[in-house]
Amino acid sequence: MARLELRNLHAEVAEGDEKILEGVDLEVQSGEIHALMGPNGSGKSTTAKVIAGHPAYEVTEGEVLLHLEDEEFGEDIEIDEDQRTWNLLDLEPNERAALGIFLGFQYPAEIEGVTMTNFLRTALNAKIEEREELFEDEEGEEAEEEDEGFENSPMEGPADDGEVGVAEFQGILQEKMEQLEMDEKFAQRYLNAGFSGGEKKQNEVLQAAILEPSIAVLDEIDSGLDIDRLQDVSNGINALRDEQGTGILQITHYQRILDYVEPDHVHVMLDGQIAKSGGPELAEKLEDKGYDWVRDEVYGTA
Amino acid sequence: MSAGTQVHANLTEEQVREISGDLEEPEWLLETRLEALAALEELDMPDVIRTPGRDWTNLHDLDFESLVDPLNAAENKDQVGPEEAEVLSWSDAVQEHEELLKEHFGSIVDPQENYLTALSTALFSTGTVIYVPEGVDAEDVAIRTEQNSRSLFNYTLVVTEESSSVTILERQSTGEEAEEQYYSGVVEIAAGENSYVQYGSLQNLSEEAYNFTVKRGVADTYATIDWIEGNLGTQLTKTEVSTTLSGDSSETQIVGAFYGHNDQHFDLDAKVWHRAEHTTADLVTRGVTDDVARSVYEGVQDVGSDAWDTSSYQRENTLMLSDESEADASPKLIINNHDTEASHSATVGQIDAEDLFYMTSRGVDPRSARNMLVEGFFVPVLEEIDVDELRDDLEGLIGARLRQRD
Repeated sequence: MARLELRNLHAEVAEGDEKILEGVDLEVQSGEIHALMGPNGSGKSTTAKVIAGHPAYEVTEGEVLLHLEDEEFGEDIEIDEDQRTWNLLDLEPNERAALGIFLGFQYPAEIEGVTMTNFLRTALNAKIEEREELFEDEEGEEAEEEDEGFENSPMEGPADDGEVGVAEFQGILQEKMEQLEMDEKFAQRYLNAGFSGGEKKQNEVLQAAILEPSIAVLDEIDSGLDIDRLQDVSNGINALRDEQGTGILQITHYQRILDYVEPDHVHVMLDGQIAKSGGPELAEKLEDKGYDWVRDEVYGTA
Repeated sequence: MSAGTQVHANLTEEQVREISGDLEEPEWLLETRLEALAALEELDMPDVIRTPGRDWTNLHDLDFESLVDPLNAAENKDQVGPEEAEVLSWSDAVQEHEELLKEHFGSIVDPQENYLTALSTALFSTGTVIYVPEGVDAEDVAIRTEQNSRSLFNYTLVVTEESSSVTILERQSTGEEAEEQYYSGVVEIAAGENSYVQYGSLQNLSEEAYNFTVKRGVADTYATIDWIEGNLGTQLTKTEVSTTLSGDSSETQIVGAFYGHNDQHFDLDAKVWHRAEHTTADLVTRGVTDDVARSVYEGVQDVGSDAWDTSSYQRENTLMLSDESEADASPKLIINNHDTEASHSATVGQIDAEDLFYMTSRGVDPRSARNMLVEGFFVPVLEEIDVDELRDDLEGLIGARLRQRD
């Protein structure tokens, strides 16, 4: 089990002093689905980017904590008592990923010349390796030295092959792509290059499925999808929660996806803060009444 | 200004006679060499890009007197190819194909075009002639040169007869390194009607070396000349790659990749001359500069007044990995026939921070992410390469240079 905790989070754009987050408090636990809603400019996407460590934002106050339980990463990785809580703000984006944070991008980067397969296998192996480093104790270091001894053996194949080899990875990728009903040709295409909007979003969910995060923050994963693709993406998100126990923080403008991915909790963001939280019924009420209703309720009518 | 006096002091007719004599060249070739030697005094350095207050590449500062050691050329050379084509050393070609040489030698690159072409013509002691007879398809011709002397002057001629094809790799590296070395190469390609030539080069000389090369081709009717121009070595390289599309419906592609680091300096020209109808040119160069390296790129698409129905495209992209490296690019489009579809662009930029964040947020460490982005940047160039050895080695050398970095 893992728990992501945002405490009184304040953030601004690193170049300039435009304040965007003004005290966000939020908790997401493994296995839970949270919907984060709110009007444009309320700070939803910034919240997502700050959690993942985007360099364009500076945190001026507050904390982003990740609490882990003993066997979060299986039996192989022992998490000592003093390694249970991490302040993500002290960590690089790739270290946060190694601890189980995943950000699904609203606008995924198009990367020419790097195939999906190559990228994802690199990411998966880097994540495993970084995790070992983060939780390494003296015993672990000794074990690593032994490993190096093996790596010099000609039987072991190339040293940079990583924990998950090419053949094994192909198997994982194929299985996950089938689950998401993705065409296998995607595997050899360049990362998001020339993908349609829907294909990019599907690809974000695929990457989450392969990287098996503890907490996935999905930034408008539903926008611009046709109904078939929306169902595929929703199935993928539900599978993350049901099969891997991932906690989901789903940022959305629309009630529509919440019909397929039922949230346990709904939060409404206004002016850089969580203005209101509730159960799934809150989303329905928003659909009927709009955000002004929340604004009126929180700030009181004039 | 004339640069001719720079080497005149230690170059003599006797030296040129000795080189030509050792190769058992006919009288007309000796005469061509001697004329080039005599012309040195009058000839200037090749043109370089100038921006206000600055000559980007200063060839005048090179100390040719100490760089050029005409009678002590030493190299290791492989000249291999499939049986169907003739791949001959220069001395063999002189014996077996004098008429071919008489027809083509110096017909595409004027020996007296500038000081450095004349120097190369007067002093070249090694070279290769590739002759592809009519209808023959020849793959994977390879010329591998390892320079072991202070200076080395090389000449390459490719002649393809009607409806033949050939893919070629010519590569240079340094065997015995010295503090300063000079490699000079002239390449001429005569592509016959409806023939196809891909000539790829991989220049990976020592980073103490200087390099001057001119590679030029003439494409006859329906002929295609594709160039791959890879530059990784030397402290200073000045190259030109160009095609004259002289036959109707002829085509050319000039694809370049370079990666400069430390204080390397690359001055690269890519040029196409549209001189017939329905001709097509595509110029694509991608390069990286790091540390305090500099790159200067000049691309010219020249559409002549008789070049009806021309298609001509040019793109140059430079990726700067350090704040101190410099890149200058000047794509030029000269159109004298309105029936032309053309585009040209050049960009200089750094690694995209959003791309990097996308990759690191998935767990890839920043160094590997950067390396993947740079390797990916070169992929469109690598995809154009026909000869596996060139593609694999270019990719490998780029990867090794990246991993050398912090």
